[in-house]
Amino acid sequence: MKRFVTLLGVFAILLSLQFVGGGFEALGQVVGEGAGFQGGPLDGLMQFWSKTGFYNIEFTNVVMIGVGLFFIFLAIKYDYEPLLLVPIGTGILIGNVPFVTGNLIGIYEKGSVLNYLYFGVEKGVYPPLIFLGIGAMTDFSSLISNPKLMILGAAAQVGIFATFLGASALGFTPAEAGAIGIIGGADGPTAIFLSSKLSPHLMGAIAIAAYSYMALVPVIQPPIMRLIIPKKERLIKMKPPRAVSKTEKILFPIIGLLLTTFISPSALPLLGMLFFGNLLKESGVTERLADTARNALINIITILLGVTVGASTQADYFLTTDSLKIFGLGAVSFMVATAGGLLFARIMNLFLRKENKINPLIGAAGVSAVPDSARVVQHEGLKNDPNNHLLMHAMAPNVSGVIGSAVAAGILLAFLSQGV
Amino acid sequence: MSLYFVDSMTWTITVLGWFIVFVALVFLIGVFLTVPKILNWGANRDLKRKKGAEQVELKDKKVILTGETNAAIAMALHLYFNEMHDEESNVITIKEVKRRYSPWSSKVYGFNNVNFPR
Repeated sequence: MKRFVTLLGVFAILLSLQFVGGGFEALGQVVGEGAGFQGGPLDGLMQFWSKTGFYNIEFTNVVMIGVGLFFIFLAIKYDYEPLLLVPIGTGILIGNVPFVTGNLIGIYEKGSVLNYLYFGVEKGVYPPLIFLGIGAMTDFSSLISNPKLMILGAAAQVGIFATFLGASALGFTPAEAGAIGIIGGADGPTAIFLSSKLSPHLMGAIAIAAYSYMALVPVIQPPIMRLIIPKKERLIKMKPPRAVSKTEKILFPIIGLLLTTFISPSALPLLGMLFFGNLLKESGVTERLADTARNALINIITILLGVTVGASTQADYFLTTDSLKIFGLGAVSFMVATAGGLLFARIMNLFLRKENKINPLIGAAGVSAVPDSARVVQHEGLKNDPNNHLLMHAMAPNVSGVIGSAVAAGILLAFLSQGV
Repeated sequence: MSLYFVDSMTWTITVLGWFIVFVALVFLIGVFLTVPKILNWGANRDLKRKKGAEQVELKDKKVILTGETNAAIAMALHLYFNEMHDEESNVITIKEVKRRYSPWSSKVYGFNNVNFPR
C-alpha cells in the first residue's frame, strides 16, 4: 500500500509539472520560437539529446557494433586469438559509438586522444616494435637446424603476389593493390606497416582483414590441408631436428639482418627490429632487455595497436564496397598462400631422399601467422597419427614466413612507393 | 575482373617480387647450411691433429646431435648429480641461539600473577 501511494505521488508530480510555468503553450514557445539554450530546461535537454549516441546512431554503426561484439564473442567463447580480437573488438565498439564531430573525440579528428594513439598505426610506429617483441620471443633453432624448410616460407608468399594481381584486376591502383596483397602474408604488423606507407585510406579494412583471417587460421587451413595432402603423406614422420649451438643462434640474427636487408632495404624497420629482438634473446647478456621486449613492450603495443585499429573502423570510413572487396581478396589470398605452401612441400618431397622426406602439412605453416598456423599443423598431424608431433618442424617455415612476408613487403614498397 | 587488363608492370612486380623473396631465403639457406660446417671445421681439424690423421677416421663427418639425444644426456646428468650430496662444511655443532632480553618477549609478563590455592 505504501509503495502504491509513493508511485501515485510521483506520477502526480510528473503530471503537474507540465502546468508549471504555462504548460504546453510554454513548451511551444520554448521549442517553437527558438528560445536558445537558456530558454528552458527542455531546450537544454533537447540539445543534450541531440548529442547522444541514441540520436546520432545510424544503421551502419549498429552493423559495426555487431561486428565488434562478434569478435569479442569469438575470442572469449572459442579462444580465437583472444589477445588480438578482444582489443580489436573493443576498439570497434569504441570507434562506432556515434558522436557529434567537432569535439575532438573521434579517431580521425586531428588532436583527439584517440588520434594521438592512432598516430603509431598511421605512421607505422607500432609494427616494428611488435617485431622487436616477436624477435625476442622466437626461437629460430628449428629453422637453423633444418634451413631447407625456409623455402616453404617463401613458397607461401605466393598469396601476397596473387592477391596483388587480383586486386589490380579488380581496379585498385598499384599502390592499393600492393597494400591489399600483403594480407596474404598473414602478418598483421606487416600489413599495417605496408598499408600505412602505400594506401593509408585502406588501412582500417586491411588491418581488420589481416587480423581476422589470422584469428581464423584454425578454421581456414584444415580443409585446404586435407584437400591437397593425401592421407599417406600426412603420416610421414620427420627426423628430429639436430641441436643447434649457441654460436649458430647468435650468428643467425646478425647474418639474417645483413643479408635480408641488403636485398630488401625497405623492410629494414621490420626485419631490423625482428633480428635485433632475437639478438637480445640469444646473446645471453641482455636478458633484461629481451625480457622487456617480449613481455611488457609487446603487450603495451598490442593493446594500443588492437584498440586503435579496431577504432579506425568508424562506420562512415569503413563500410564501403572497397572494404568488402578487400575482405574477399583477403580470404582468397589466405587460401592461395596455404595451398602454395602445401603444394611446394609436396614438390620438395620429390627431390628429397626417403629418410629426409618432410611431412607436407608443414607447408601450411609458411603463411606467417606465428604460432597459430604451426599449432594447426601440429593438430592436423596428431589427428592422423597421435604420435606424430610436427610442431617444432612447422615452426621453421612459420618463422621463415615472417621473414619472407617482411621481405615481400619491402619489395612491394620499393616497387610501388614511387608512384604514391 | 580480367587479368588481360592488368598492365605489364603489375605482372613484372608479381613475378619478380616472388622471385626476389625466394632468392633472399635461398641465400639464407645457403649461409646456414655452410655455417655449421665452418664452425665444426676447426674442431675436426684439432681432433685430427691430436690423434693423428690415420687414427681418426670420421665416417660420418656431420656430427648430428638431435634434441632427443641431448634431452637424454641432460636427464642422465641430472639424475647422476642429484644422487650425490652437495658440498657440506662437515661441522656438526649446534649453534646456540641467543635472544636478547626485551620486555616485549619477557616471559614474566605472560604469566598471571595470581596466587594458586594451596
